[in-house]
Amino acid sequence: MISCTEFIPAYSELFKFLEARGGKPMVYDFWNYLSDAFLGNLRDLVAQNGIRGCWLYWSHTLNEEAADFTMELDEEKGEFQILMHHCPSKGRLLKEKHLTAYRDYCEHCDVLYRRVLEPMGYECSLDRSQCDRAKCCFMVKSTKK
Amino acid sequence: MTKDVMNRNAKDNDYLHKDFHGALSAGLIYLEERFGANAVREYLWQFAKAYYAPLTDDVNRRGLVALRDHFQKIYTLEQAIFTLALSENELILNLEACPAVMHIQAKGYPLSPRFYETCKTVNQALCDETPFAFELVTYEPATGQSIQKFYRRSPKP
Repeated sequence: MISCTEFIPAYSELFKFLEARGGKPMVYDFWNYLSDAFLGNLRDLVAQNGIRGCWLYWSHTLNEEAADFTMELDEEKGEFQILMHHCPSKGRLLKEKHLTAYRDYCEHCDVLYRRVLEPMGYECSLDRSQCDRAKCCFMVKSTKK
Repeated sequence: MTKDVMNRNAKDNDYLHKDFHGALSAGLIYLEERFGANAVREYLWQFAKAYYAPLTDDVNRRGLVALRDHFQKIYTLEQAIFTLALSENELILNLEACPAVMHIQAKGYPLSPRFYETCKTVNQALCDETPFAFELVTYEPATGQSIQKFYRRSPKP
């Protein structure tokens, strides 16, 4: 068994494996597949609770991942934000001495979540400018008037 | 309406996100659908050789004790029911149920028919370039219940 605590390196190495097989389009194809096959719980939570569904989804995942973050929800404005002070996944990859992270590792978050949320009426933006320090900012805004 | 705010430090929680098992299973299903079953084995072999290189080095230094310590750590962390029996030339892992498979089943995530390769191929890769070999003696796909054996290729006389 690969422990769930060892998943992130396995995930990063999968991206490398796929890129070697079919270039970056193959990596995008996998991210799209994973978003469709694996993020049904995010889709359901947002369908049932609106933008609060984002709060509910990431309250669960980020706590289990022991992330260092500030999360904000303003339902009146239709805004949700995660300010990631230290991403446990990217942080883990940066710490590994014998492995290098997949070059565009952090892009998977942008692709996976955008694919779920945008068709449901939400605009997503991910600031990856500080990903090399395991920091990022993810924003979701309702586009519904 | 007030704004909800949640602040967390890394130390506030333990790192154990079992849903990752479901994501790995989805990855294996994707690989098999796009490239066939061999791609699953190739990927897991490449991953294991790269990621577990320090563990393989440790096996060459300390022998099967290094593997026992590794499995003791991960299966305890994942709250598995298991036993590890170590002798000079053999390490037997008896796993009542695989925590990864049980979590995947409980959450209703698709279970890759090749999930057993996360034991078989990964453990074979762990033993590659060491005096030891691996055999998946039994494996029950629905629960991951298994008997896993690591043994010295040529037992010491």
